[in-house]
Amino acid sequence: MSASERFGDSLGHTAEDVADLIPMVRRIVYARVGSHPSAEDLVQETLTRVLSAASTVEPGMLEPYAIVTARNVVSSLWRDADRKNRNQHRLVDLSAPEPPEKQVVLEEEQSAMATALARLDERERRALLDHEVDGTDTHALAARHGTTAGAVAAQLNRTRARLRVEYLLAIEHVDPPTDRCRPVLIALSSGDQRRQREVQAAQHLLECEPCARLSQPLLERGQQRDDCLRIPVSSDADIVSARRAARELATRLTFGATDLTVIATAVSEVCRNIVRFAGSGEVVVELLEAPRRGIQIVARDGGPGITDVDRALGDGFSTYGGLGLGLPGVRRLMDEFAIASEPGHGTTVTMTKWEGTDRERPT
Amino acid sequence: MNGGPALVSIMRQGSTLIASVHTALNDSELVRFEHDLVDQIGEHRSRGVIIDVAALDVIDSFAALTLRRIAEMARLRGAQTVLVGIQPEVAFTMVRLGMGTGAVPTALDLEEGLALLAEQGSHHPRPDDPEA
Repeated sequence: MSASERFGDSLGHTAEDVADLIPMVRRIVYARVGSHPSAEDLVQETLTRVLSAASTVEPGMLEPYAIVTARNVVSSLWRDADRKNRNQHRLVDLSAPEPPEKQVVLEEEQSAMATALARLDERERRALLDHEVDGTDTHALAARHGTTAGAVAAQLNRTRARLRVEYLLAIEHVDPPTDRCRPVLIALSSGDQRRQREVQAAQHLLECEPCARLSQPLLERGQQRDDCLRIPVSSDADIVSARRAARELATRLTFGATDLTVIATAVSEVCRNIVRFAGSGEVVVELLEAPRRGIQIVARDGGPGITDVDRALGDGFSTYGGLGLGLPGVRRLMDEFAIASEPGHGTTVTMTKWEGTDRERPT
Repeated sequence: MNGGPALVSIMRQGSTLIASVHTALNDSELVRFEHDLVDQIGEHRSRGVIIDVAALDVIDSFAALTLRRIAEMARLRGAQTVLVGIQPEVAFTMVRLGMGTGAVPTALDLEEGLALLAEQGSHHPRPDDPEA
């Protein structure tokens, strides 16, 4: 203590005087809280306080001062303990205890992740773990492999996409039924639209039930775009919600009331074909910026397909009890219209309405 | 499937039934509407039916077909049908789509529709209907 020099001055007491008090202080404290685990701490606390005040205490008054201090220290211990007791209830952890299945789920997730990691190839796994677990940055990794940071980052993204797919397969205990499943799921996982078109991902999802299920979380990851809507269609009610959604999205461009009705009607027609002939499918409505502003609608199903597309587009042809005006009518409504169909592998109708092209407005 | 507010209300005024569609209908709802309306024509011994489709924002091939079918069935049951309230955008789209209302007469609105029925009713005071 830096104040030790002051202990020697004429007025106060010295450290020795304080040391002489130790047995007495200990007796006082132990008499009150002898069994308490912190009793010795309280003795030391008292002595410290007395020592720091020793120089200012009047001669002969050090002993009474020590006695009072000891009592105060002990009573403040009790006060603290009492306050703790009174406030104990405030500390109760009201959150529910962890359910026992959580541990099991955690273990399952861990083992799925381990399986997924094991399915990556050695180099990919090394790079991913170095980056994610050890925190090695992409520049360092690039230097190690003699490439650029950008290339490493791209490779890491591909690895993560694969890892997500492998993890899903492992945790769902699914063995992909066809050779196309993995490439499709990886393309979806990476969000690479060009690759998705290459592997005909959307078509595959309509045909492959396990992939359709597994792709759900992968697609949800990528659903941040708000200018593109994907609407599953499998019932009458879906037809109405699909055309409503298309109209809604189209109002963001400067389409007039007539064009909005035209778009909604065209969507209604193609959705009905899905429900009638394929049972289920999907409609993707997307706003286009290039080459011009417009709205594109892709209706896709995995149904029986159309054997003779040319005939289906001719007025008067119909395989159901309508007027045979479904597809040719839709083609007249839209600015662009394309149909691709393969018997046994479903039908895809792609149609576009450009903004501000309607020359035949009624008003 | 249903249970919310009525999608269609069918009211009787004299010998005329007035059916107003309140909201967009899906295919099953359209078919149910068709059945309800044809039943009511018999029940009320109606001579005229007005279908107000002003609330339909889309009349696609199925809806147009159903409306034509209703009119034809009503005709067979001895009632004359008039479609009223087709919106201008809807009319435009129906023409482009190649769908029409066929032989079903139309009128601009409810008032015109009632006037049309009154006019035709005066020409044919008793329709030749063996069931009536």
